[in-house]
Amino acid sequence: MTADAATFDVSCTSTTQTGAGTLQREQTLDRFLAEVEKRALRIAVISVRDRDEALDLVQNAMIKLVQKYSDRGVDEWTPLFYRILQNGVRDWHRRQAVRNRIMVWTGRAGKDDETKDLVEAAPDPAGRTPDEQLQNIEAMESLEVSLTELPRRQREAFMLRTFEGLDVKGTAIAMGCSEGSVKTHYFRAVRALREALGEHWQ
Amino acid sequence: MTKADDRTGKTEDELFARKAKVMFEQSVDSLDGQTRSRLNQSRQAALAELDSSTVSLVSPGRWTHWAPAAGVAAVAVAAVLLWSGNLTFDTGIGPIDPIESAVPGDFELLMTEESFDMLQDLDFYSWVEIDAEIDVDPGEDADVG
Repeated sequence: MTADAATFDVSCTSTTQTGAGTLQREQTLDRFLAEVEKRALRIAVISVRDRDEALDLVQNAMIKLVQKYSDRGVDEWTPLFYRILQNGVRDWHRRQAVRNRIMVWTGRAGKDDETKDLVEAAPDPAGRTPDEQLQNIEAMESLEVSLTELPRRQREAFMLRTFEGLDVKGTAIAMGCSEGSVKTHYFRAVRALREALGEHWQ
Repeated sequence: MTKADDRTGKTEDELFARKAKVMFEQSVDSLDGQTRSRLNQSRQAALAELDSSTVSLVSPGRWTHWAPAAGVAAVAVAAVLLWSGNLTFDTGIGPIDPIESAVPGDFELLMTEESFDMLQDLDFYSWVEIDAEIDVDPGEDADVG
């Protein structure tokens, strides 16, 4: 093999490896996002109480993760993704607060604040009876209502630890605070929820 | 609160969290088809960003990799051609060099010291020329005469 041929061979091999690496990274990201998206949506819905807004927030979080952090290690993606999502939720609440103030000034408050149906209809993919579904829906709705009444940081800590299953370290990264703060927020959240939901829920 | 109460409280907290997790997972499983479809579309949109960022990063990288080398090579070739004199600019009307197009012989004659001597003895050279004509003519005169 001549030197030129060797150079060409190395160049082609390198290009193929780069292409294969990109494809592999895309597949890994696809699996990660598919795995996390439904729980992320439910968490976002609980946070903003609006499915369409929650869908937008989840999509933005997906796009930002891909754009900025796709080259990071796979084990870093979950806390980073939820950090982006939590920031999005926070910004959304800020915008809503401003919007509500403007609505009050212009006398239009409450006209478009209709509560949307958060759990959409049957048939139930899990195959439960209508009674079971109703009980679970009611239980979950009462939990969601209680969650919305918690301070924001407690709600975030509870949802990330309990719903998403992040450990203390991952939750701290997602919330942008210390691990000690996560433990405190989580403990207070659980106690407040137990108190609010009462014995019958437990 | 005793240690036993504390342990009981923690256990109850864990049980509560476990139940909350089960309820949450059931609500996730209950997501309707339309919502799942929209999530799928969102995921594909996000992954498309990865493709576009790969294209926009890789392609210009190739250009920026080869452009400096190509520029250096072009300058080197031009320098060699200019130095060796092989580089001409064909205008279609031949070379336009005022120094080269002038007659070099005239210029050199004017700049030599001998040319000034010649100008000072113009009368002498005129006489030599006339005398030479006379030397040639005698034969003709003889034929006539």
